[in-house]
Formats: sequence, structure tokens, C-alpha cells
Amino acid sequence: MTKFRTEITKGDEIRYVSHLDYASLMERAIRRAKLPVAYSEGFNPHMKISFASALAVGVTSAAEYMDVELKESVEENVFCDRLRQALPQGVKLLRAKMFEGKQKAMMAIVDLAEYNVKIPLIGDQTAICEAMQAYNLAQAVTYIRRTPKSCKEVEIKQYMQEAVQAAFVNEMIVFTMKTKITPAGSVKPGEILQVFKTQFSMPILEDEALIHRTGLYAGGQTPIDLV
Amino acid sequence: MVKLDPAMIHAVNKPARYTGNEFNAVQKDHAQVQCTFALALPDVYEVGMSNLGLKILYEILNKREDTAAERVYAPWIDMEAKMRENKIPLYSLETFTPLSQFDFVGFSLQYEMIYTNILNMLDLANIPLFAVERKDTDPFIVGGGPCVYNTEPIAEFFDFFIIGEGEEIIVEVVECFIQWKKDGCVQGRQGLLKRLAVLDGIYVPSFYAVQYNNENLIESVLPICPEARPLVQKRVVKNMDEVTFLESPVVPYIDIVHDRIMLELFRGCTRGCRFCQAGISYRPVRERTPEKLRALAKQLVASTGYDEMALTSLSSADYSCLGEFVTDIMEDFKKEKLALSLPSLRIDSFSIELAHKLQQVRKSGLTFAPEAGTQRLRDVINKGVTEANLEQAVRSAFENGWNTVKLYFMMGLPTETDEDIIGIARLAQKVVDLYRQVTGKRGARVTVSVACFVPKPYTPFQWFSQNTQEEFARKQKLLKEHIRDRAIQFNYHDAHISYLEGAITRGDRRLSKVIYEAFKQGAKFDGWSELFRYDIWMKAFETCGIDPAFYNQRERSKNELLPWEHVTPGVNKEFLLREYHHALKEELTEDCRHGKCSACGVCPNLDVKVVDWGKRHD
Repeated sequence: MTKFRTEITKGDEIRYVSHLDYASLMERAIRRAKLPVAYSEGFNPHMKISFASALAVGVTSAAEYMDVELKESVEENVFCDRLRQALPQGVKLLRAKMFEGKQKAMMAIVDLAEYNVKIPLIGDQTAICEAMQAYNLAQAVTYIRRTPKSCKEVEIKQYMQEAVQAAFVNEMIVFTMKTKITPAGSVKPGEILQVFKTQFSMPILEDEALIHRTGLYAGGQTPIDLV
Repeated sequence: MVKLDPAMIHAVNKPARYTGNEFNAVQKDHAQVQCTFALALPDVYEVGMSNLGLKILYEILNKREDTAAERVYAPWIDMEAKMRENKIPLYSLETFTPLSQFDFVGFSLQYEMIYTNILNMLDLANIPLFAVERKDTDPFIVGGGPCVYNTEPIAEFFDFFIIGEGEEIIVEVVECFIQWKKDGCVQGRQGLLKRLAVLDGIYVPSFYAVQYNNENLIESVLPICPEARPLVQKRVVKNMDEVTFLESPVVPYIDIVHDRIMLELFRGCTRGCRFCQAGISYRPVRERTPEKLRALAKQLVASTGYDEMALTSLSSADYSCLGEFVTDIMEDFKKEKLALSLPSLRIDSFSIELAHKLQQVRKSGLTFAPEAGTQRLRDVINKGVTEANLEQAVRSAFENGWNTVKLYFMMGLPTETDEDIIGIARLAQKVVDLYRQVTGKRGARVTVSVACFVPKPYTPFQWFSQNTQEEFARKQKLLKEHIRDRAIQFNYHDAHISYLEGAITRGDRRLSKVIYEAFKQGAKFDGWSELFRYDIWMKAFETCGIDPAFYNQRERSKNELLPWEHVTPGVNKEFLLREYHHALKEELTEDCRHGKCSACGVCPNLDVKVVDWGKRHD
């Protein structure tokens, strides 16, 4: 049994594709690439691929990780060449590494995500920085997470790895956010922006934000460096 | 190029409907081509992207270096509101070019209930709605697809129509346009339309004058310029193996209605069901060879990466080489875990065995269309299916492990009596009982779906009066009362929608103003029951002083000149009349593919032949 761990992207062209649809576009690409991919047994076989972490609709990423299990081994450069030719716009294969044997599921080991969030600057920089400072210094911040089915209070500061930072570039605010991914949960950059606005009176148009994942780590290493 | 603001796109449902960049989408530089063609389907992305005809035209046009074809669909109401609010014109998904900048905008006319969406899309694109108001800088608006056998109700909105199969004529249209441009766009828009009108299969409605008599009936429809032909016949592909089919269709990112490869086995169906317009308009049957189909399938799996393929046709189980072909194709794609599906099942055990072989997911159930509840009425509509056929098919399905069966019927068919309606309940009950007989247990699930019959142009029932809404409601109630078993679920159509469809489908040019008025009052997505506004439509008819009953509930005289007769799928009126009389006498007509020719006229009129490869070895 041969496996490949890949480092791939989700670009602006496919920003609005959901995680499930991202998975199925990768399945189709693997099929087009004619790689000898493994399938589960049974009445309704599915392709043996898995991802490190789901990405929300509207969020792009420079660091997605996908494992692919093959029925027979293929050389690394052949794997990369074939897959690259079959990828749609918006997905780039950055690296691929073959590995044998058992590895823990990436989903279970990733513990940190890094984001870069760009928003047009309205109002002045001081107000932005002050609100951000107040958030960074707060002991606890409660966010009400609403889904169509439920409504739950979440303390989100526990999921912050570091203080949020801001830079100002060409009339844009660029936030850097590092969030923890834990078995109990995590916090999304979009949620932090909402909290900025509603609880810390930050003058931002959070709907205009372009969120980009810049890194995903497990114990300080990228998942691909672990194999 | 249109730019979408992230805040706007974040706020709408399923934003990937509007952002393009799909695999196999073709993006060309418009400065490098001679002709730009927007292919539009006036429904949401998921529906539009599932249309096979437009996929084929997209490939044919984009294969030409001098032409760029791009897609556009109707934005859902949330997106439309955002676009209007932000003054974003309707744009194409490939290059985000406003529709108004294309040379042609082609609309696929799939069903009458999306006509208001056409107007809404033109309006969103800032293109004048009426052909007569368009200037030289506006695109040519062209229609094609199944509704072209009566385009009169929308004639005023279109510059021209393509009648019949588009693979060959679309190329002629583009070449004609490029030549006209080279010649300095002589005589402006009219100049091109005159050049197009002489091509086989092109109908330019503004080149015909319609006269009415004092009974409000059509007196005459006559060409008003020498280029327009008195009779426009459909285009038809003679050899399905030679014509271009899909090679690299666009693969969507989001789940669409038919999210799989569509392999078209053949065109046409000559079973001769008398209510069916497609059965007439796609004649004659022309099959692809199994060898060609296997090669196409291979290419399509490689170019799309899909893991599912549907074997499509009007009646796929009628493909003459089906058994052998299915075995071969399953063998071809064993490694790829390709799932095959057969979307239209015939009511016989052969179909069930095939479905079983294809391992179609059992939970989805099997669908059969007996169409009518009694043998007498099935004979009237020439549905060559007996109760014994159905029994045998259903028995075989239950034996193979299915427990869910969907049965499709119509109500409001000619000569229908209450006995025929009650017959639907009786037949459904019989299916439930059969399950108990075959399996010895309860647990069958039978869904009965009953549509309200809409008589269509170019069918033997084109003269017949549609049932009133009250009559439909009464029959629905009657049927409900006779369905007693809880294993049977009864679904029926909204008679309001069928009533409107009935008025438009056999309408004439005077309906353009009603459709325009309904659009102005906010009608859109009329085929979506949650958005259908019956009140708006009835008010529009009233405002225009037109009674819909004149179109849907009037029994026409056999001598009446019908609004659609100057554009034809090639069938002889005498054949339709003959079939109407056979219907009243409950007489069956054979399938001309296997039995004797019923002299519908299509083959001689269009110089085309039935192509049936099953006979190759005989």
C-alpha cells in the first residue's frame, strides 16, 4: 500500500467552493490523472483520499493537505506530473511525498492554522488597532455561534494561539491570525471579525473580508514534513 | 469585464453558481475572434448546466478558432436583487463579459414556464426586450430547443429561431455572420437576418405577417420578404456517428441536477404515444453505433473524471444493441468504478434485469410511466403497455430486491372518464398487493404522480381542449378518495401551472404582450412552484384583454389554421389527424421502427432515414 501526502492550494478561482465540493473536484482530478487510486470495498465504493482540515466557502488557502492511497506504487515525479495536468484552475500541487505504512489521520493531528485576512480600510488605523488590542488583552470573549439548527455560546480566546496582528497596506488592513485546532473545537477567522465589530466596535465591513489560510501545522511542523 | 464585490457574493446562496472557472471551461480573448456567442438557459445554474444540447453547441462553437462561446444562466432571486442593487449587468461565466457585448445571445427554450426568465435576463443585460427596438450595437437574440415548434407567443422578443437539431446549422449561422461582417455589415441587422432566413431551419418571425379574421382566428401567415420561406422545416442530423458530440464538457464545482456524463445513445422515439411532442419532433430514430458510443464514453471519462454515466435518450431501453452494449461498457470501465445509470426504463422485465445489472442504487426506486389507469385509455394514447406488462415488470423489480416504485400518470386526457381516474388508484393498489405476494411481507412504497395533461402543438391531440382547473381539482379529489392504502403516496401537479402552460404552448403572437405584462409585474421562475404567481398572470391576461381559455380550453376545428403551422418538424398534418381518429376509436398504431411505416411524413419530407443498428446483423 502506497500513500502520497500532498500539499495543495485553493485559489481565488474556486474561492466559493465548499469543502465537500473541493473534495469531489480533487476526486475527479485524480480520476482524470489516471492514477491507480484505491477504493473502499462494498456496494458503493469511494476513493481513499482524506484531508487535513475543512475550509469554509469563501476562504482560499495556500496550505491544504490531502492523503491519497494507491493500489500500486507510482514514482513521485510521475504522480506529480499526472496530477498537475489534471487539476482545475485554482488548485496547485506544491509538493507530494510518498510514504508507506500507517500514519495518524491528518484530521486528528493538525493543531494550528494561520490566516491572512484582508479588508478595505475605512476610518482610521488607530481605531482598528485599539479595538484589536482590546481583543488581544481580553481574558475571555464569548461568541454566539448560530447554525440553522442550533445556537451555542463559545469562548473563543481559548482558541487563539497568538495575539492578532494588523498591517496596513494600500488602503487595506491585513490581519494575521493564528488559531488553535483542538478536539473540543476551534474558531474561524470570520467569527473573530464579527467579534471585532460587534463586541469591540471595530470600524470594519466584515463582509468585504478576503480570508486566506497561509499555514496548517501539527506540533510545529507542516503535515507533509511529518512523513 | 464585470467585477463582483466579495460582500455581494458572500451574501448570496451558492455563490459558485456565479463565479465560473470550471474545469474544461473555455476562456478566449474576444479581440482574437470574429464571433462571440453567449449560450443561455433561462433557469438556475444547476438546471442550465445539465442541458445536453447547450453542452454540444458550446463544444462545436469553441472548436472554431474564430468563435468564442460562453455560458450564462438565470441568477436566482437573491443574486438578481444584488445585481440590480449594485448595477451589475448580466455577464457570461467564462470571461465575465456583459451579455450586451456579445454578437449573439442564444436561449435554449426548454419549457414554456421559463419565458418570463428570458425577459428578465435580457432586462438584466440591458438589451431591449423587443426585437424591433434593438439597434445595430445590440446582440442578435436567437432561440432554439424543444419549444421551437410554436415560438409565436415569444416571437416578438427574438430576432430569429433555429428550428430542430443545432449541430450543423449553428456553424452555418456563425459563418454567415462572419461573412456579413466582412462585407461591412451590409443593410445592418436586417441584412444579416435576410441572409440567415434563406438557410434551412432558420425562422425569422418578423419576416411573416399574421392576419386574423373576425372570429379572432388566424386567417393567414405569409412571408413579407422574398428571403423568408412559406414553410420552415426543422434541421435534422442524418448520421449520428459523424456529428460532433461532447469531448470535454465543462465539469461543475457544485452539484448540478444531472451531475454525470450524459452519453446520448440515439435520437428520436417512434413508439408513437399520442400526447408526446418529443415523440414527433425528434423523429426519426437515429442510433449511434455501439463502437462509436464506447469510444465517446472513453473520451468523456478521461476528460471529465466523472464516476457516473447516464445512458440518455428519449427511451434508452429501446436502444437496439443495449444488452450487449451495457455488458461491454461495464467491462471497459471496471477499473474506474464507473456507475452506469439508465434514466428511462421501459415497462418490461428486460429493463428491470438491466437496472439490476447496473446495480442502480436501490433506495432511489424504480420509475415507470403507465400514463393512464385503464387499458382503454392507454389504447387511446397509444401507450403500448398492458396491465400484464406492468405486473411482470413490477414483479421482477420486487424479486430483484426493490421495494420502492414510482408510477407516472396524466389526467385530463381525451375521452377520459371517472373510471379511468379510479383505474389509477386500482393499478397502484395492485402494485402494493403484488409486493406482498412476491415477498410475503408488507413494506412496499408506491408513489403515484399525476400530471395535468397539457395538449401540445404537433401532436395528435393538438386540437383537443384542455380540462378546466375545476375539472382537474375534481379528478384529483376523486383519485384521493380512492387511494386508501397507506403504502401509496399520491402527488399531483398544481393545476394553475398546467393551465397557464396550456394557454402559452398553443398560443399565438398576441400572447407576447401578456408575457411582457406578466414579466413587468414581477413574474419569473414560473416553473418553480414556490415562485409561481398565478395572480400576476391572470391579471396580465386581463390587462391585455385576452382570455386564456381561448387558447387552452377551446376545441379547435380541424380546418383551423393553427398558429404554428408555418414552422414544422416535418410531420404531415394528415398523419396527426389520422392518429387523432385512431385515438377516438381506441386503435393502436405500431412503432414504425419494428412494424409498418405509419406515414408520418418525416423521412421523405426531410430526406432522412431511420437508423437502427440492431438490424445490422439480421
